[in-house]
Amino acid sequence: MSRPVRHLIGVALIAAVLAGCGTTSDHALNMAMRALLTPTPTPKPTPQVKCTHPPANLTASLRPPAAMPAPGHMPSRTFMSTIQHRHYLRAGVNASTLRFGSLYPATGNIDGFEIDLVRQLAHAIFGDWNPDRVHLVALTVGQREEAVTSGLVDVVVDVTTITCVRKQQVDFSTVYYQANQRLLVPSNSPATDITSLSHQRVCATANTPPIDVMKKNYPQVIPYGAPQAIDCLVLMQEGKIPAISTDDAILLGFHLQDPNTKIIGGSLAPAPYGMEISQKYPEFVSFVNGVLAKLRADGTWQALFNKWLAGLPDANPVLPPPQYVR
Amino acid sequence: MQIPDQELSVAGVGIATAPATPTRRRRARAGVVLGWVRDRLATTPGRLILISALVVVGAVCFGVIATGAEQSRERAVRAARTETEPLLVHALTLYKALQEANATVATGLLGAGGLESRYSQAQYTKDIQRATSALTALTQGAVTPAAQAALGTIAADLPTYTGYVEDARANSRQSFPIGAAYLRQATVVNTSMVHAAGRVYAAEAERLNNDYQTGTDTAALVALVAAIAAALVLLALAQLYVTRVSHRILNVLMLVATVLLVVVSVWALVGVSSEQDSLAGAQRNGSDSLEALSAANVLLSRAQGDLSLTLVNRGTDKTGPLDFGAATGVLTTSPIAAALRSRFVAYRAAADRIQQLESQGELVIAIRQLPGVATLSNRLSDQLGREITAADGRFKHSASDAASALSGLGLAIPLFTVLVAVLALLGLRQRINEYR
Repeated sequence: MSRPVRHLIGVALIAAVLAGCGTTSDHALNMAMRALLTPTPTPKPTPQVKCTHPPANLTASLRPPAAMPAPGHMPSRTFMSTIQHRHYLRAGVNASTLRFGSLYPATGNIDGFEIDLVRQLAHAIFGDWNPDRVHLVALTVGQREEAVTSGLVDVVVDVTTITCVRKQQVDFSTVYYQANQRLLVPSNSPATDITSLSHQRVCATANTPPIDVMKKNYPQVIPYGAPQAIDCLVLMQEGKIPAISTDDAILLGFHLQDPNTKIIGGSLAPAPYGMEISQKYPEFVSFVNGVLAKLRADGTWQALFNKWLAGLPDANPVLPPPQYVR
Repeated sequence: MQIPDQELSVAGVGIATAPATPTRRRRARAGVVLGWVRDRLATTPGRLILISALVVVGAVCFGVIATGAEQSRERAVRAARTETEPLLVHALTLYKALQEANATVATGLLGAGGLESRYSQAQYTKDIQRATSALTALTQGAVTPAAQAALGTIAADLPTYTGYVEDARANSRQSFPIGAAYLRQATVVNTSMVHAAGRVYAAEAERLNNDYQTGTDTAALVALVAAIAAALVLLALAQLYVTRVSHRILNVLMLVATVLLVVVSVWALVGVSSEQDSLAGAQRNGSDSLEALSAANVLLSRAQGDLSLTLVNRGTDKTGPLDFGAATGVLTTSPIAAALRSRFVAYRAAADRIQQLESQGELVIAIRQLPGVATLSNRLSDQLGREITAADGRFKHSASDAASALSGLGLAIPLFTVLVAVLALLGLRQRINEYR
């Protein structure tokens, strides 16, 4: 019996030793899977605000000071002097609206009508044209009001229509450009105005005034909200929507990017553009209004309009007179 | 081999013969085999015949069990080597190429003057080519329905994706902001493809994992050990009995059979054990590293893509910065980041600086700094790529060790089994013949 017993013991020992050292595990697999399937976080949606106190005159703003401070000499204990001591002005702007504010990859700079207005504002504060006096912050529609209230920027000049809802969160300057909500369709479209688009989808940026205007005043069309206005142009080029309705200031930029489109019909709603400023700094609101009044009076506004928007039939060369609350 | 009862009693080896009563014979009609066995048990040569039968049955059992154990291991090793691991590498290539294509385009469109560099264009083309060839290989090899469905999604989405990218390029070349919108559309499609590639990867990784489990399953080893032990015990007991009845210590043929059995058993044990060891090593040092490194590489290109997209969207993108945070967060805590230490820290610092500049609205400065960060990311990616190739090499090396550990066994086990059985039978036959 001794031989088989010895065999058995030997074999059992070998088996036990070898079986123990060659084990596998799925630890790495699980780790890699976890890493690869890291979910993309979803941004928090911006809460919807309702207009509770409609102002008597939406576009009225604070009157400019009796005497404007000289550039480079901002009165102490004002927000202007804070900016002056910081040595630069922070402005929230648009980086994708041709002619108003858009990034030019060739130069790497954001440029446009609104950017020049910001430079004029900086000149009025600092008294020089040093380009480093302006820090531009590109903002989305949903970020604008928070950027002002949180102090990320001093002023927002970002194709912003003055609305009751926005006015509850921030102060607006006087109107610096009078846009109008209109329609953009492919150049071969038979549509002539909004009445010819019954039961068709009309695209605009979600949660913006153009959608509200269509819902309220033009129930025959089906408003379609896209994440951004430019996404509407993508959808139209893909043939997924027959028309876009938003400010003509934005639509004229779309037409420049796609000449096979046309702006049709009259104004569906006025879209007066104002600069957003924090409600904490009324002195800065009056100061900005003073600067705007000066630009209007000395012909600078017209010069800037000619520089950026002349020759565009859909640009509005008429700036209504400023409205003041007191 | 019928041996008359009378002859057996003449032999007189001191074992009592049971009388064959009529009742027993009647009962045996129901179970002929049982009766035959009882008859054989009654005499020594009968018992020797029974032992011969047992040895044959035992040898066949040993052969079947040992071959089965060996074959299941061999199949698993072959599948891992030639099928599932290469497919896993293809799945990872697909995932990575799709992710990198988008990161490359997004970074490239921010290039100086709005013009994509030739390097970036070539890189994008290479990424798409790598993705399509991996897709082809996977479509031929993937077997699970989940993987097939995911591959169908990718095949359908890929032309849409490249179409959007060309729209984005054409518009960006003219400084049109709609270029960024097309890139955003491309990214939506890319994300869906990357998620599908993740499902393919999961299916393939699970198949490889199953091969590892089968290839290192201790049940096969236990079965082998049990079969060996049973066969050896049987052979030893047979020899013990033969020695007792024949008063001869050695039966040369049976001894040779035993030696052969021991030889093939040791060979099989060593082979299967070292195969198990090598295959476990292939996973530990090869495919485990491959999976971890690839996951890190994928996260890196995802972070780089997010960074570029945030800038391409000119401050209009909220998901990009959040996803960048998620990707780099996981990357930072992975052991790979520790291994890449200084380079990863440098990348992270530069990328964070761009994120910060972007969140402060310093888009123009951020865009100017992006090429530097892209270079850091490319270097990291190249380093990871080299380590991935090395890990794949280690897998292939260990897996081929595992395969060669088993080579020859598939033929040797049945051959030796037959030899053992024949030799043992011949040995027993000598003794049985002594009773004639």
